[in-house]
Amino acid sequence: MSAPNADAAAQRIYLPNIKHNSALLTVKFLSACLAGATAGILGLQNWLGFALFIASTLVTSACIYVINCKGRPAKYVPGGLWELVNPGQDNIFSFILTWTLFFGIVHVYD
Amino acid sequence: MLSNLNVVSLYLDPQIRDWVLFPITLVMILVGILRHYVVILLQSPPKKLSRAAIREQRALVHSQVLRATSTNSPVPESFYKSISQNLSQAFTAGTYLKDGPPQGDAPSTPPNPLSDPNAMDGMMAGMKTQMVMMVPQMVIMGWINFFFQGFVLIKLPFPLTLGFKSMLQRGIETPDMDVRWVSSLSWYFLNFFGLNGLYRLILGGDNAADAARDMATPFAAGVPQAPGQAQDYNKLLIAEKDNLELAEGLYSWVGKDVEQRVLRRYGKFPPSS
Repeated sequence: MSAPNADAAAQRIYLPNIKHNSALLTVKFLSACLAGATAGILGLQNWLGFALFIASTLVTSACIYVINCKGRPAKYVPGGLWELVNPGQDNIFSFILTWTLFFGIVHVYD
Repeated sequence: MLSNLNVVSLYLDPQIRDWVLFPITLVMILVGILRHYVVILLQSPPKKLSRAAIREQRALVHSQVLRATSTNSPVPESFYKSISQNLSQAFTAGTYLKDGPPQGDAPSTPPNPLSDPNAMDGMMAGMKTQMVMMVPQMVIMGWINFFFQGFVLIKLPFPLTLGFKSMLQRGIETPDMDVRWVSSLSWYFLNFFGLNGLYRLILGGDNAADAARDMATPFAAGVPQAPGQAQDYNKLLIAEKDNLELAEGLYSWVGKDVEQRVLRRYGKFPPSS
C-alpha cells in the first residue's frame, strides 16, 4: 500500500525504528576499516587500493541488500539504494587511515 | 637506469614506528574521548522555566504539530476543527502568554538578549563547547611540531600533487623526494579525519569528539537559539494563528471516504473513473 504522495510517505516514518536500523552504519564502517587493512597488507598502491575500496563497498552493500533489506532497501533505509551504497565521508577517511597505517607497518618498516 | 632510482625506497628505523606512529594515534584517540567527556561534564543542566513560560512554548509547538500534517491529517474532522479553532481563539486573546493577556496600553518589547540571563547561558554554553573543541587540537599540533619534526614518518600508498609537498613534508628540506614520504604532521591530519568513524563506534552517534569543522556550523545555528527565548511570544502566536487558519483551509482527513475505498478494493463497488 504505497502512499499517495511524498508528504504522506514522510509521515509514515517512525523514528525509533530508524535509529535501530542505523546499526548498519557500524557494518559499513567496519568493512571500510578492514578493507583498508587488507589493502595495506597486500601492498596495493594508487588506484588499486581505491579499487579495492570500491569493490568492498559494493560487496558490503550487496550483502546488506540481500540479507538485511531482503531486496527492498526503500522499506528499511530512508533514502533508498543510494544511502545504502554510499560509504560517506567518514568511511572514506577511515579507509585511507587504515590503509596508510598497515601499508607503513608491513611494507615500509622492516 | 634513472627510473630505478624512483623504485628504491627509504629505509626507516622501526623505532620510528614504535615511538611516533602508534603514540600519535593513541594520544589522538584518548584526547578525543577526553574531549567528549569534558563537554558532557561542562554542560550545565537546562534552565528550569516557569510553568507559564513552558505553557506558551508548548502551545506554539502544539499548533505547529497540528498543522504540519493538515493535508493528510490522521485526526478526524470534528476534532481537528475544534482544536484548531480553540487554539486560534486562545492565540488572539492571549490566554497562553506567560504574563497573561496583553494589557493593550504599553507595546510589549522583547527583552534585550544581552540582559536576559536565559539567553546569556545559551550563548556561553555554545562558546564553552567551541573552546573545548579547539584547544586540544592546537595543543596536539604544537606537541607534534615540537617533538616529531624533521624526519620522514611514513609513505603514503597513494600519490599526491606537488602542491601538498610544502604542507606534508614540513621540516624536511629535500626538493626531490617523492611527495608520498611524509612527516608526522600529515599523520596527524590523517588521524584527525579518519578517527571520526572510530569515535562514532566507541562513543555513540551523538559524540562531541567529531572533527572541528562539524562544530563550525552548529555554532552559527546555536546563536539564534538564544534570541529565540527572548522573542516576543505575542507576535509569534499571532503569526501562528494565521498559519493555523491557512492550514485549516487545506485540511483533509486521511480517512475521508474510506468506506468507499475499502469497498472498491474488494470489488463490491464499481471502480472510479
